[in-house]
Amino acid sequence: MAKGAGKVTAKYRVNRFWSIILALVVIYAIVKWLIPAVSRWMTDLPFPLTVPGELIKIYMILAVVAMFLLVTFSQRNFDEFMYPVRKFLRAEYGWIPRAVVLTLISLLIGYIAYDAALPTKETPISLRIQHPSSNFPKKFEDLKNPMTDPPEAEVQAFIEQARENDVALIEQVAIDVERWLEENPDGHMLSFLPTAPVKKFLAELEGGEVSMAVAKAALVEKNLFEGRALYAMNCRACHGDSVSGDGPMADGFKLRPINFTDNGTIETIVEGYTFWRVMNGGPGLPVEATPWDSAMPEWKLSLTEEERWKIIAAEYDLAEKTPRIPEGH
Amino acid sequence: MRFGAFKGTASKPRKRARLPVAIALLLSLAVGWSVPAMAADTPSGPIPEATPEFLEQGREVYVKRCSFCHGLLGDGEGPAAEFLDPRPRDFTLGVFKFRTTDSGELPTNEDMFRTVSNGLPGTGMQAFDDGRIKNGLSEDERWAVIAYIKTFVPEFDDPEFDPYKKIISLPANRPASSEALIAKGREVFEHAKCWECHGKQGRGDGQKAFDRKDDWGFPIRIRNVTFPWKIKGGSQAEDIYMRFSTGINGTPMPSFVKALGEDERWALANFIESLQHQLTEHQVLKALKVDGELPEAADDPLWATAEAMDVRLAGQVIAAPRWQNPSIDLVTLRAIYNEQEITFLAVWDDPFKDVTHVAENELDPNELRVVGGYNTYVNPYDVAVRQLENFRDSVALQFPAKPPKGTAKPHFFRGSSSEPTNLWIWRADREAAGETAVEEATARGWKQEAKAQPEDQQQVSGQAVWGQGRWSVVMKRPLTTEDKADVQFIEGSFIPLAVNVWDGSNGEHGMMMSLSTWHFVTLEAPMSWTVYLYGVIAMLVAGALSLLFIWLAKRERKPQDEDDDEAEAEA
Repeated sequence: MAKGAGKVTAKYRVNRFWSIILALVVIYAIVKWLIPAVSRWMTDLPFPLTVPGELIKIYMILAVVAMFLLVTFSQRNFDEFMYPVRKFLRAEYGWIPRAVVLTLISLLIGYIAYDAALPTKETPISLRIQHPSSNFPKKFEDLKNPMTDPPEAEVQAFIEQARENDVALIEQVAIDVERWLEENPDGHMLSFLPTAPVKKFLAELEGGEVSMAVAKAALVEKNLFEGRALYAMNCRACHGDSVSGDGPMADGFKLRPINFTDNGTIETIVEGYTFWRVMNGGPGLPVEATPWDSAMPEWKLSLTEEERWKIIAAEYDLAEKTPRIPEGH
Repeated sequence: MRFGAFKGTASKPRKRARLPVAIALLLSLAVGWSVPAMAADTPSGPIPEATPEFLEQGREVYVKRCSFCHGLLGDGEGPAAEFLDPRPRDFTLGVFKFRTTDSGELPTNEDMFRTVSNGLPGTGMQAFDDGRIKNGLSEDERWAVIAYIKTFVPEFDDPEFDPYKKIISLPANRPASSEALIAKGREVFEHAKCWECHGKQGRGDGQKAFDRKDDWGFPIRIRNVTFPWKIKGGSQAEDIYMRFSTGINGTPMPSFVKALGEDERWALANFIESLQHQLTEHQVLKALKVDGELPEAADDPLWATAEAMDVRLAGQVIAAPRWQNPSIDLVTLRAIYNEQEITFLAVWDDPFKDVTHVAENELDPNELRVVGGYNTYVNPYDVAVRQLENFRDSVALQFPAKPPKGTAKPHFFRGSSSEPTNLWIWRADREAAGETAVEEATARGWKQEAKAQPEDQQQVSGQAVWGQGRWSVVMKRPLTTEDKADVQFIEGSFIPLAVNVWDGSNGEHGMMMSLSTWHFVTLEAPMSWTVYLYGVIAMLVAGALSLLFIWLAKRERKPQDEDDDEAEAEA
């Protein structure tokens, strides 16, 4: 080797070896921590989406292959890379570091082999399909929630009831509303519900001219109020106040209650599907969705159809999601 | 492309200087993002002015998010309230539990903000901080709803009750937790007699009377302070310090501001924090193999050598009658086996030992099994008779009756008619009466009661002990039996396992229980010696290769430029 070339090598020799090592460390850090962190920032989920261990292995193998190509790309590269390695092997940095490092590497390799051979005691994996459709009856596909889109006759009846100041409420909320009305006897009974659509409806009612669209929006608000009450009574314990699958009971279930605020849960399915799931619960699931792990009750045994639809409407509303539109619409 | 770009960068010395900066930047971003979002339970500013618009905004939030428990009138009488224990707060009395103000005083705005943001763990009150819960409430919405809640309490307008004049702050000097500090805290715990209510081990078992009531007339449940997930006011030493400095209004929990100095209280807080249980995370219980006799008693020291597995439980809410106020939410399991038998130890905290059972007080499950009834949950205040000497304590281990095919299992709640489960039910009243305490039963779904196996197929024996607010129950059976409805324990296989627990004085019996989903138990086959062999071989090969490389490096020094072989080896 010429003297000049040797000088250049000497100038950068440490960098070549350590930059390769550093590059591998950085790639590992990106895959292990940066991607999950960015995913969390992008998806807004309360937990990061970690890269699976097998995938990390593949990325690292690719990185090592790339580094190998880089090193063997030219003789100079290779020499630069090997320079400190050779010096190390010849004990030019001292024989103690050489003995220590090589012993540690041997021990590490021995441990890895031992660890790989060790019989693992991990839970047998059972893959689970979250939205199974193998036994989803076609007739549910096109169902529309009558609580968020009430038929005209019902809106008419609602207007009549509101004119009489006697709107029908389900028993579960009626008791509390009556107590409120005793304390707040002035004004319309619906003023217990201080949302914009109800306020607009009450203003029109006072003026005498009520439009169907406004009345319908107010009726939906009433249904949502009832749905929220039913949700609080029946579903809250597991799915939580904020429909985040974090109710007071959630930690007791290995298969956690569904978080409806997650993208990819209730917004990716049609309403009829939700209705079917609420109706048949865990026992109604096909095998691919591991029915034996699901604590979801068969609500058809406890709730009426109307109650189930009201709860579903409230869930979508609380989660600030809209259901998928059935195909062919 | 990527490779080329990298190469370009690496070969230009000037650009290389930027590399460390870039790495530092990337790493700092990675660290910044991987830290969980800080819980925003401290507001960025004071509460906004309570204009009519702001109060109306607060009322809308309240009606949508709070009224179903706390009631439209704020008196804790919403439609869901009567099914919850602890009962949702009645704001109109102006008694607030979790504060940073003197005992008996109102809370500060920030105290209320903290409660709304963090919730009260172990109760129906959940966190509403939108930094933690995606569709929780924004800071502005939380302030609005707090402003509205304050309208239920006229005292907030009275300058005489200004909570800001009665603030209790954390001690300026808060040494970090240490053994000495914890030991000092233990002494304070002793002489301040905390154990009179909370029990010597902090399990809430010291209470003298069962039927004490709080200011609202509801039963008092003394907290088990060893469960951090159930400590309402927060589980950090700072939170604990506040609880016994401010007292808990409306309950017998007093303030110790006058009785104890700041440093004593800080030590006590650290002692209480040190009692907190650390949950195990695994889902597979490894049964320990022994050569000799299996332990008979629950306090046998041999149990300590077996690995423990914590099993979290939930109330039985799958079918009516539903139960959302279980008092037991953790059972710790251990298992030991020898050539013939296997024995399980189940340990759980229960402040009262209930060993009587009055069958005629049992709830008729069909009463709540109606479509479209008012509710299918059990009301803990009048439907369930919650008193001593009424219902027994009990525990059941559940296994599939048939060996699982693939990953398929019976449903974790009692299986079904085609997929039955095998139950080992231990009952405290039987144990106390000196009868066979464990019954083997077959369950075929929750719709029918589990059926006891015939007398001659009852092979599980049991032994139990209760002390310091804790049950320890041992159940033993031969590894294999002739009975087709029994689980069979075979080395190396994963056997699904679930737990049911009943706390009698909490009104629990029948379907009112705590239950777990499926976990696994496995009988560890003795480890093969080849496992060590592989490790040793790998180590020797690595060592030999190292020597080879050294030899090659040395040899190469003399005749230059012969490195292709090493390149291969190095890769």
